[in-house]
Amino acid sequence: MMDSSEAVVADTKQYIVVKIDNEQYGIDIGYVDNIVRMQRITRVPKAQDYFEGVINLRGEVIPVMSMRKKFCLDDDVITGKTRIIILKTDQQALIGVQVDEVKEVVTLSESEVDKITYDKKQEDNNTYLSGIGKHDGELISLLDINAVISEEE
Amino acid sequence: MDVSQYLEIFIDETKEHLQSLSDNLMVLEKEPENKDTINEIFRAAHSMKGMAGTMGYKRMQKLTHVMEDVFSEVRSDNIKVTADLVDVLFRCLDALEAYLDNIMNSADEGTEDNEEIVNLLKKTLDGGASPEEETAKPAAGQESAEDKNESEDDQEKRKYKNFKFAEFERHAIIEAGEENKNVFAATVYVQENCLLKAARAFLVFKELENLGEIVKSTPSVQDIEDEKFDLDFSICVITEQNEEKVREAILSVSEVDAVYMEKLDTSIFEASASKEEETTKSDTKEESNATASQAAKAAEQKKAPAKAAGSKPVINRSVRVDLEKLDELMNQVSELIIAKNGLVSASEHDASLSSQNFTEQIEYLERITTNLHESVMKVRMMPIESVVNRFPRMIRDLSKKLGKQMDLFMSGEDTELDRTVIDEIGDPLMHLLRNSADHGLESTEQRIALGKPEKGSIWLNAYQDGNNVVIEVQDDGSGINVDKVRDKAIERGIVAPEQAQTMEDKEIVDFLFMPSFSTADKITDVSGRGVGLDVVKSKIEGLGGDIEVRTKKNEGSTFTIRLPLTLAIIQALMIELGEEKYAIPLGSIQTIEDVPIEDIKYVQNKEVIHLRGSVIPLVRLYGLLDCPPREEEPESLTVVIVTKGDKLAGLVVDNLIGQQEIVIKPLGKYIHVEKMISGATILGDGEIALILDANALV
Repeated sequence: MMDSSEAVVADTKQYIVVKIDNEQYGIDIGYVDNIVRMQRITRVPKAQDYFEGVINLRGEVIPVMSMRKKFCLDDDVITGKTRIIILKTDQQALIGVQVDEVKEVVTLSESEVDKITYDKKQEDNNTYLSGIGKHDGELISLLDINAVISEEE
Repeated sequence: MDVSQYLEIFIDETKEHLQSLSDNLMVLEKEPENKDTINEIFRAAHSMKGMAGTMGYKRMQKLTHVMEDVFSEVRSDNIKVTADLVDVLFRCLDALEAYLDNIMNSADEGTEDNEEIVNLLKKTLDGGASPEEETAKPAAGQESAEDKNESEDDQEKRKYKNFKFAEFERHAIIEAGEENKNVFAATVYVQENCLLKAARAFLVFKELENLGEIVKSTPSVQDIEDEKFDLDFSICVITEQNEEKVREAILSVSEVDAVYMEKLDTSIFEASASKEEETTKSDTKEESNATASQAAKAAEQKKAPAKAAGSKPVINRSVRVDLEKLDELMNQVSELIIAKNGLVSASEHDASLSSQNFTEQIEYLERITTNLHESVMKVRMMPIESVVNRFPRMIRDLSKKLGKQMDLFMSGEDTELDRTVIDEIGDPLMHLLRNSADHGLESTEQRIALGKPEKGSIWLNAYQDGNNVVIEVQDDGSGINVDKVRDKAIERGIVAPEQAQTMEDKEIVDFLFMPSFSTADKITDVSGRGVGLDVVKSKIEGLGGDIEVRTKKNEGSTFTIRLPLTLAIIQALMIELGEEKYAIPLGSIQTIEDVPIEDIKYVQNKEVIHLRGSVIPLVRLYGLLDCPPREEEPESLTVVIVTKGDKLAGLVVDNLIGQQEIVIKPLGKYIHVEKMISGATILGDGEIALILDANALV
């Protein structure tokens, strides 16, 4: 920690740590455009069921998906801590993901991240992960953003 | 010198010339004796030759050169225009287009020499003209140019007489005289409506630099480059070439109106200073003369372009704007309208704001934003002409290829559409026309047997209809064989035989728009490969439009395309369904009705209502949109009657909110949306309402 300035130069990445159900997930900060409070979501009929609908973000219509629904967890409980994270994808499109809580921003160096080496296809949930990060003795599942949003049902 | 900066002008102009060539060749085919047309073609070929040469496109230059030669012979009645010749010329045109394509893609003309076409043209040339005439020709061309100059000869125009030579320039000229080189002084006039005078001047300079050395120019080269000259500039050039060559070089640059030149006697320059004073004197004189005759000159110059105007479109006072900038402007207008809607809804909810003055101002603002939107929309509009003007040529080629006689009649080419739509609509229209030509029209023998005019007709009509633009492709051929389509549909397993028998012809014909559905018995390379109508349909739907077909046996079929005038902002009726708000485009709404429950009838287990003589199916939006249903059915339903073409449907809604100008926004990339939702819009209070596509509901 003393030579943190050097650590930045080395292969480190910043992640936003969010809580979904009982787990902590990390989202690469490079993808994050914005974080907004919960707001009114307009339902879109016949869309994929993990999409909550669309919101108005500064005049743009942006689809919002629920991470809980995507991960087949219990239904969302909207609290004061619920947030929508607006992600900017590789295709330059915006998409919102609804999470239970945003906790902090952490910096992980490459040595603190374990790549997932086993066959991704074997366990469903893991297909959305790019690795596991260790921070202050806690584990953070790092999300593979492109897999999360582009995967077809 | 680097010519790449002029590439864009070159491409634009070549396109224009090619279009003019194509149009004129079509005319020529029908009237082989039309002198105006022949002259026009000659001129276009000539300008293209010059331009291609300057840009260093040798192959293109060679081809246009032969074309020019041929037409020069045609002009002097040495060659008759035959169908064969026109064919070759059309091939020539295709080849030129291919060059242009290559140039547009890679700034290089490619390596295709088109020897065959060149040889064919040369053969025509040899057949028609003896070699002597051949050599006599350029001189003849020259003469006419000379004549023109002479007739308009006018000392004031010879501005080069005002040259004041500096010591070193005079020196250079004297030296040239000693070396037996020619020294010419010339004044070049560019056309009055020339857009890029500096570029023209540059091309003239470049042409001349190929021949010799330019020793003097008025205004200075720098000023010319900065376009600091009126319509003329004067130059003095030292060259080994004769006067003809120099004149020809200058005239080969397009938009050069005239050139006045003479050979300077170098010996004059040896007698020096006193002479110079004289020139200065005469200079001031000339100048006053010049202003006096300015008006006369202007009138004269107007005459000259008027001659060419017969064929060349009059150049408008216009500005070229990147489409992206227009999009941005449109976005800003959209934002403004959203903001305006926000103000309106705020004033409705807040009593303190609803003073009369405030409402008046809001109304004023509303009018302005609506007008602003319309203006911006108009800027984005382009006449459909730019797309359809290549079709006559295509039909002509198809006619030859298929061995059927046919004519294309077009109307409403000036109908305007959004630029984005214009870009996309060409291919679908081409598909439909090919279809009509190949499948629609019968062979000539069949037509005679049926007692129809030998020549088939295809119509392409465009017109504006309310908020839509309608484009119809119609033919007077055999019509679609409904039974054949029915059989095919059954064979493909799309419908059960029993079901197919009860279907109306119209529904059957709609099968044609399904993927890979072709009834053509034999596959030609024109159409019938089973890709086509479905692609046409999806493309048009992608543009927010729709397509319909009507057909009558032995009378022909009509494909009708409807396209929205604008893609971004529309008037819509806002409705409520339970808690949710939706927008229905006003353009597709016919009426709004209150229907008592007991008026609902059932036909084939479907709810319908009887309204002014027509039976209209009811669409329950609740079920369709998965809304939580209402607890109890009210006594009467609010029904919005929407139309698509001549079909009607009644949408059952809870409440009407009112009419509003809405901005269409896409729903984003990752969310799958049903076709019945065409987008979303942001309401005044920031809430989002989805837009229902009536076309998908009918």
